[in-house]
Amino acid sequence: MSDAALRERVKELVVECLFLDVEPSSINDADNLMAVHGVDSVNLFEIVVALEEDYGISFEDEDFDVETFSTVASIADLVERKRAEG
Amino acid sequence: MARETETASPAATETSVEIHSGGRLLRGVLHQPAQAPPAAGLVFVHPFAEEKKCSHRVFVEMARAAAARGCAVLRFDFSGCGDSAGAFEDVDLNAWRADLRAAFGYAREHLQPKRMGLLGLRLGAALAAELAEEELELACLVLWEPVGDGERYLELTMRRSTLRKRLTAHEGGSELEEEAEVDEAGEVDFDGYLVSAALQDQIAEVGLLEEAKAYPGPTLVLNLSGRAKVASAHEQLASLYVSGEAQAVRQEPIWSTVGLIDSAPTVQATMDWLTPVLRLPTY
Repeated sequence: MSDAALRERVKELVVECLFLDVEPSSINDADNLMAVHGVDSVNLFEIVVALEEDYGISFEDEDFDVETFSTVASIADLVERKRAEG
Repeated sequence: MARETETASPAATETSVEIHSGGRLLRGVLHQPAQAPPAAGLVFVHPFAEEKKCSHRVFVEMARAAAARGCAVLRFDFSGCGDSAGAFEDVDLNAWRADLRAAFGYAREHLQPKRMGLLGLRLGAALAAELAEEELELACLVLWEPVGDGERYLELTMRRSTLRKRLTAHEGGSELEEEAEVDEAGEVDFDGYLVSAALQDQIAEVGLLEEAKAYPGPTLVLNLSGRAKVASAHEQLASLYVSGEAQAVRQEPIWSTVGLIDSAPTVQATMDWLTPVLRLPTY
């Protein structure tokens, strides 16, 4: 399980990249981003690039799974794994 | 050759023009303020493939905003793109470099502005930056979300395409298509645009971040995203210019968003920067 600070940072990125007019803390870790917050492929790609920039990680093609990017919790878990891989 | 003129506003006209670039015929639109010669002139350099389509309207709105303030603008289509002659599959980056030189020469000859500048988006910004290294007397260089590293750009474009296909299937679209694959000839399908291996190699060689720039004039690197901070690559690029500055503008990705976009943040930030640089009237 990724730490709370990382999940909060992912929420901030979601709000920034989607131009949402909500507080990041109002997004639940388990919210389905596509269903609840209208994330689409364009938005998601901006989040992907921002995560790579902020955390110095690089996603692989096989990481681009809809389930992996479905919630803040699953995205944060992926970022955590990537950071651990170095 | 001017083909047609219509009134865009009481202060500006828009004229369809044809430009010869070697044996190729380019088509464009000249936005001219009432004042002649104009206080300044800009040549806009559009981005690559699908990004050109997405950003077309923003270019029109930026051109009209500039013309309304006394700055003439030439928008044109590269060979094989938009209204210009040729097939996309038959042209390459060197042809587009030649097209940009031809368009720049056309604008300088026909507008005779007191000051000339370039404005480009994404790969178009990279080509504009390249030309600025030859045209050192340019009055300004505006780089919207420039591609600084061609290899990274290709990688991200492929990944965006893959992601879009996977999510389109998930979002209830058609059956999941095969992901972008390289065929035997090395061609890749970029969202419907067949990009040859040679063109991929040329794009991969684009490298704005490698050395300090000779162009000494004012340079604006505009970071367009939902983020308040400038991306590190854009900061780095701005630092390579003698008079470079990077700004973050909160704006949806105008090069990849399908549908209407409110381009006001980008247009306003650009006009705010251009006004003193090109000494445009502030009325």
